[in-house]
Amino acid sequence: MHETFELIERLRRAERRAVMATLVRTVGTTPRKEGTKMFVGEHGDVFGSVTIGGCVDGRVLEHSAEILAGSSPRLLEMQLGDEEAWEIGLTCGGAVDVFVEPLTDELIAIYDRARVEWDAGRTVALTTILSGEGAGTRQLIEQDVPATSRTEGNVYIEVLRPPPTLLIFGGGAVSIPLVSFAKATGFRTIVVDGRPRFANRERFPDADDVRVGIASEIARELRINATTAVVLVAHDYKIDVPVLKRALDTDAPYIGLLGSRRRGAAILQMLRDEGVSEEQLVRVRVPIGLDLGGDTPAEIALSIASEVVAVMHGRTGAALSAA
Amino acid sequence: MSNASPYGEVIQEHFRHPRNYGSLDAPDVRHEGFNPFCGDRVRIELSVEANAITAARFAGDLCMIAKAASSLLTGMLEGLSLDEVATVDERRLLDAMQTEIRPARMQCVRLPLETLKTGVEMWRNR
Repeated sequence: MHETFELIERLRRAERRAVMATLVRTVGTTPRKEGTKMFVGEHGDVFGSVTIGGCVDGRVLEHSAEILAGSSPRLLEMQLGDEEAWEIGLTCGGAVDVFVEPLTDELIAIYDRARVEWDAGRTVALTTILSGEGAGTRQLIEQDVPATSRTEGNVYIEVLRPPPTLLIFGGGAVSIPLVSFAKATGFRTIVVDGRPRFANRERFPDADDVRVGIASEIARELRINATTAVVLVAHDYKIDVPVLKRALDTDAPYIGLLGSRRRGAAILQMLRDEGVSEEQLVRVRVPIGLDLGGDTPAEIALSIASEVVAVMHGRTGAALSAA
Repeated sequence: MSNASPYGEVIQEHFRHPRNYGSLDAPDVRHEGFNPFCGDRVRIELSVEANAITAARFAGDLCMIAKAASSLLTGMLEGLSLDEVATVDERRLLDAMQTEIRPARMQCVRLPLETLKTGVEMWRNR
């Protein structure tokens, strides 16, 4: 689930009064981007963070008590000195704007409306007036949604894009931690296997969907698009070949196959024999995952999840320190 | 896998070019079976008129032997009465495969056969 929806749901379940703080504008290089949220509960408990710690979060906490006590929503415009900027990752002095408001029933209701669309796989946006008359007023936008969240003048546009999907073919030992890692990093997860003893809710309680059946048919039924990562960990040619063929017929940005280089070459040859072009075959990542070392199911899953995240963000997965 | 099959030419041919692969528009019999260990999964579909099979199809994610067995099996069914389905047995399938199958892989041969017979029985008892 989207982090914002998840945090709102937690607070709703806990029946807590809370303040919602949203990072609406940054100048300079920041570790977190526009749209990041922090919630401060009435007992001072904190969920999320608008930066990754440091003075900005502290200032939000300072203002939260007043907002909870009944003050109007407010825009905190923070000019940062070099020292403060360094603390939150800016390379030199910059500015961040954080909009702080009470988490009202009205606010929750509009996020609920946005979530219905988001759950259905549609990208939506919420506009928020940041200051002056009507500060805090929101509107749901379903058409002509911009690519990213940003502030335009006095209006913050929060883009809520449906999560990427991780399709996992094979319900073996690697898939269990892989679902956990994928969920934690914001993926919708679907596990497919032909064997009910492998693909079931006891083994995959956190998966969004668990499907048992003819995997190649399920692969054709599922929507696979530019936000879908396809991982094959069945380690079985009868699954790998037809599912890869289907995946290569889509614009899935990540297609990974568990197996050695030798096994991978054999599977690719079978696809070649079935008429799949070389241009398509180079999209298959085999052996799957980043070179993290380790050979336990969790370590392999982490290696796969890391590569998936890197590819979905257009990165290589190389160490930041080596860059 | 692109070179000669260890199971002989008939199995390789039916694996690479399976007969009757696909689905029927409105099958009378439709049953899915699977091997809980290896994950082979097959669906057999039949059209039945006047107690006789007029068309047979199969689909699934199957190993080389199971796919060849399904292909050969469905090729034997057209024109058979439902009673005659009982006469199609392992031996007949193995003869059609023209090769020896190790005991450990016999379940690959049996899977489509058992799926067919269960499907027919369920349809008759519907």
